[in-house]
Amino acid sequence: MWFVNIFWDGFFAAIAAIGFASISNPPKRAYLYCAVIAAIGHSIRYILMNNTLLTMGIIPASTIAAFFVGLVAVFLAPRAKCPAETCFFPALLPMIPGMYAYRTIGALLLCLHHSEEEIFNHYLYLLSYNGFTCIFIVLGMVIGATLPVFMLKNLSFQATR
Amino acid sequence: MAVDNQALSPSAKQVCIFLSEYAAWLLGCGATCIRIEKNVDRMAHAFGMYYDMSVMPSHIHLEVWNRDKSDTYVNIRKMHKCAISFNINTQLSKLSWDVADGKLDFGGALDSFREIIKTPPENKWLVLFLASCANGAFCRLFNGDWIAIGLVFLATLVGYRLKQVLLESKVDVRIVFILSAFVSSVIGAGCHIFGWGTTPEIALGTSVLYLIPGIPYINSVSDLLDGHYLCSFNRFVDALILTICLSLGLSGGIMIMGLKWF
Repeated sequence: MWFVNIFWDGFFAAIAAIGFASISNPPKRAYLYCAVIAAIGHSIRYILMNNTLLTMGIIPASTIAAFFVGLVAVFLAPRAKCPAETCFFPALLPMIPGMYAYRTIGALLLCLHHSEEEIFNHYLYLLSYNGFTCIFIVLGMVIGATLPVFMLKNLSFQATR
Repeated sequence: MAVDNQALSPSAKQVCIFLSEYAAWLLGCGATCIRIEKNVDRMAHAFGMYYDMSVMPSHIHLEVWNRDKSDTYVNIRKMHKCAISFNINTQLSKLSWDVADGKLDFGGALDSFREIIKTPPENKWLVLFLASCANGAFCRLFNGDWIAIGLVFLATLVGYRLKQVLLESKVDVRIVFILSAFVSSVIGAGCHIFGWGTTPEIALGTSVLYLIPGIPYINSVSDLLDGHYLCSFNRFVDALILTICLSLGLSGGIMIMGLKWF
């Protein structure tokens, strides 16, 4: 069952990556690579967050998954004849913490709407929790995905050569 | 562009105007600062010129000179405003390698550049369909049931079409985000209102996720890591403003449907 869940997680991440990538106008040949890389990245995150040996939180899991996204993208980019970021930026989109982002703003609006200390503190907590989680997921993801690009500079910046 | 084709030994002025125009297009189509610097660097060297460049949030400031500094030129070029396009980014990066490897001379590079910037965006109906499928898939990733997935697909289809129509009508992008998020969230609230399915909160939560400006957030952190703090801050604030707008639209939708945020 666990393997089936991993497969479906990767499958739906691939569809999400293709759709969100289309908004950013990638070259046609990049779609397949974006889908494969997103499926690998999201599956790795799913495994890291849903296992009995070493269950991780969403921030370290996203960072490690993004590292593999960057690594696979650097090796596939020359084959796709695209810059590495054309392959891995859209592949990261299914992991973007969108819900945390707008919940932060929602909590801020509710903070401003309530003056009672207890309710205000509750929404302030939601604001901080969602805001910090969102910022550190994005930071971790981009650091994780960019590390292989800089570790393998010669390969990653010559993909379109 | 105010540069004439000249195959052999272009002047500093010609190279400067070409490279600043090239960099302005890269900046506009969503390339990271490090990509812009590397591409300009390899082309300037291929043309036998030295250069210094500042990548500002919405401008390129470029100085080009020859070996003995007898020929220098400075140009400031405003960022070309266009939608994010990895296709143009990819073709411009390839152009820089073609120049660096000697496959194209200055005139050839100019001709190729003029062709590349004519690249049309992806078919809007295909993007509409793919974005709707993507948001439906996103709903599934958050463990939404099939009814929620179907409703999110519909909410995205209507909201994204509205976004396309309003942007084509030159409506301010912030207003577009508020209205699209409002419409998508009202449709996304259907599961709540009619008691459909078992995951109505996921349908509502994911119905507006197609509006999250993911690429600007990623570009912002990428520029931050590379030390381009001004560009990073600019891209972050742009993305944050759009996120605030979509949150406002979502709040309006939630309020009008008589639901609660948390």
